[in-house]
Order: sequence, then C-alpha cells, then structure tokens
Amino acid sequence: MDSIWHIIVTATPQIALAGLKYTIPIALISFALGLILAVLTALVKLSPRHGWFSILKAIAYFYVWLFRSTPLLVQLFIVYFGLPYLKIRGLFPNGIQMDPWAAGIMTFSLNTGAYCAETIRASILSIPQGQWEAAASIGMNKTQVLKRIILPQAARVSLPPLSNSFIGLVKDTSLAASITIIEMFEVSQQIAAQNYQPLVMYSLVAALYAILCSLLSWLQGYLEKRTSSYIRPAN
Amino acid sequence: MIKFEHVNKTFADHPALVDITTEFKAHETTVIVGPSGSGKSTLLRSLNLLERPENGQYHFNDQIIDFAQPLSSKTILNLRRKTGMVFQDYNLFPHLTVVKNVMEGPVQVLKQSPADAKATAMTLLDKVGLADKADAYPSQLSGGQQQRVAIARSLAMNPEYILLDEPTSALDPELEAGVLRVLLELAQEKDSMIIVTHNMEFARAVADKILFVEAGQILFDGTPAEFFKQPTKRIADFLAAMTFTTISDKAN
Repeated sequence: MDSIWHIIVTATPQIALAGLKYTIPIALISFALGLILAVLTALVKLSPRHGWFSILKAIAYFYVWLFRSTPLLVQLFIVYFGLPYLKIRGLFPNGIQMDPWAAGIMTFSLNTGAYCAETIRASILSIPQGQWEAAASIGMNKTQVLKRIILPQAARVSLPPLSNSFIGLVKDTSLAASITIIEMFEVSQQIAAQNYQPLVMYSLVAALYAILCSLLSWLQGYLEKRTSSYIRPAN
Repeated sequence: MIKFEHVNKTFADHPALVDITTEFKAHETTVIVGPSGSGKSTLLRSLNLLERPENGQYHFNDQIIDFAQPLSSKTILNLRRKTGMVFQDYNLFPHLTVVKNVMEGPVQVLKQSPADAKATAMTLLDKVGLADKADAYPSQLSGGQQQRVAIARSLAMNPEYILLDEPTSALDPELEAGVLRVLLELAQEKDSMIIVTHNMEFARAVADKILFVEAGQILFDGTPAEFFKQPTKRIADFLAAMTFTTISDKAN
C-alpha cells in the first residue's frame, strides 16, 4: 500500500489541474454571468409597478423564487438530464441538449444570480434616500443617479455578502461532478476508486477547497479595505 | 420670478400645503419660518419637484406647470437644473472627493469638460473657504464644511434659485456661523435664495421677505420689518417660543 505522503504528492497535482481547468473557470464565468443577471433582476424588482415593468417584475419574482426554492443538484439534473426530453416542435425538435460545460455554467449562473439579486436589491435599498434626492436635485436622470451615485455605493455594501455567495459557488461546483464534469471532486473520487483510500482522498480535496476559499476570503478583505477608504477619515 | 397659485398637497390624511399662493422674486432672499411639521419643508421641496403637489399652478419665469397634470421627466429635470437644493443633512456623495462632488452635476448633466468643471469647482470651493479640502472625502470634513461643499455643489449648476432646507439645523453653533456667513455673502451678491430656517437672527439679517407657515397655510407674507416689529398674536407667540429655545440652548 502506498504511503499517505506518496498519495498526497501524486494526487494533489491532478486535483489542482482539475481545479484550474474546471472548478475555477466554471465558478468565475458563472459568477460573472450571475452578477449581471442579479443586477438586472434587482433593478427590475425595485422598479415602479407600471406598464410592461409589471410583466418583467412578475418574471423576476418567479425566477428568484424558483431558484431559491429548489436544490441546486436537482436544478443541474433537470438542465442536463431533463431538458433533452423537452421537445418543442419547430424550436427544439430533438430536445434541448447541452454539453456538460454549458449546462453547468447555465445552472450555476441562474442559481447564484437569484441569490445575488436579493443581496444587490438590499444594498441598493440601504443607500439613504437623501442620495437619490441630492443627485436628482442637480438634474441627474434615473440612469445617471443609479450609475454614478447609487450603484458605486451599493457595490461597497454588497461586497461582503457577494463574497459569501462566490465562496459558496466555488464549493457548489463540486456538484458538477454529477453531470460528468471532471472537476476537483470528481478527480478525487476517481483516484479514491483506484487506491481505496477514500478518507485520504476526500480529506485532501477538502483541504484544497479550503485553501482556495481562504485565498478568496483574503481577497475579500483586501477589496473591502480598498473600497472603504472614503468611509473613515484618513490617518 | 417664480410663483405658486392655489397649490395643495396632502400626505396620507393630513394636509401639508393648503391653497398656497405666493411668489419668490429673483435676486431676493425669501425666508420661510414656522413651527415643526408646519409644511415649510414641503413647500420648499415642491419648488424643485422633490414633492409633487396634487393641484395648483407653478409659474417658473414664463413656464407654467399645472400640478394636476402628469409632468414629463424632461420638464422635471429641466426645472431641477434651475433650482439648486441644499439639504439639512448635506447629502454629499460620500464616495466622491469634495471637488468631484462639485463637478458631478456640471460634467454629467451640463456636459461640461472635466477641466472646465474643475476650474469652476475650485473657484466655488475657494468662495466657501474650502479650496484646500478639494481632494478630501466628505467623511473627513466637519458638518459645517460639508454643508459649505453642498452649497458649492448647488452653485456649480448655476441655478436661477437656490433652495436651502434648514441648512444649519444639524450643526453646532460654531460651525453654523461659517455656513451663515457664506449665505449672507450670497444674499449680498443678490443671488435668488429661498431658505427654510429656525434661526430668527439669521432670518432677520438675510431676508428680503418672510413667509410664516403653519398647518400648511401661509399666515404671513411680507417684509422682515413687519414680521418682527408688528407681529400678530400668533407670530409673537411663535417668536417667544423660538427665543426661549435659543436661551435654553445657550444655558446648556
């Protein structure tokens, strides 16, 4: 039997490579897309209820409700294994087929977008009404007020909870193993199946996730410090 | 000249403005006084449409706005550009430096070049005595300094009227003086100002005209001389109450 040290030394590069090829890119791309979706959803949810905005609002509420009320693993299964059976004549006669990458990124984006939408909505609401009034009274239109005054301040407020969501997403990418993506957890499972050392392998992959997330926590601290420089007096 | 005619505004169930008719002349300083909750801030905020009265007419120079009709956002923005607003709690943009706060309107709204806007901003900051704080953030300034920046920010838009909503109510007396000096200077330069204040000494010093508002109604509309020298019973009571507050504040 291999020594534990030997297992760690040989398995770590393989798992790390899977992290670089799948875990990190999937998390980054999904989070970027999720954030765009989240900002749009938050703005729609905060918009006044009139005209075609009522329809958009209904869609936004339904979307957030749907993705927060069902398990991520089930969502992945529906998108990857289920949608191929959704045959729509004219549009998708052979069902909606996606490769694992596309299915994974789509599901992770939609899922994290639903959670982040609520974070962003709350941080926009946390900016005092006086900021809207001050910006409006120098003649700014709503888009200018949002872009120049509200969103930059809301971004600072939402940084800690958004970092939470991102760290959560990095760990949730391990679920992509179930839709045949060879990410970090899947690699550790495959190695464990060969060397019959599940405790060592799963502890090792846990440690690697922990290292990755610790780096992200540090990055969060750094960003918080940089974006908060205007809050407290210098010196 | 701007003018309100028969303007009404109701909040939930209580009337905030009741059949308000008055005018504000250009190059004059109008001071609005009255007890708390009397509707004086609502009156001021209605002048730049931060509040929307339900009906009545608003004359701004030759433009006539009927409050009973829906207003286009173009009308609203255009009117706000012509009326600068200074708030009780300053409402500076905390994420922008002092000079950027002053430049924001001219660059984003008036589409001035950043260089031009900066030159104007520095002149205005100099005028309010804060040129040396141009690169500081609002959180690094005292309340009085922040309010002077807010005045510079509203002046940067070159408004036809400057509206000030209790500009010194949040300030300690020694900080208040610096702000009042700036406003006195503007009054002497014949800027058009409309000021809501609780400071009667300041009102007396700066006003060309005084409005006394209570329960959403204008109970007095005239010169400071009339207001302070021949007050009605109600105004005399109000002034006595204000004096008592001032004395008790000083005693503390």
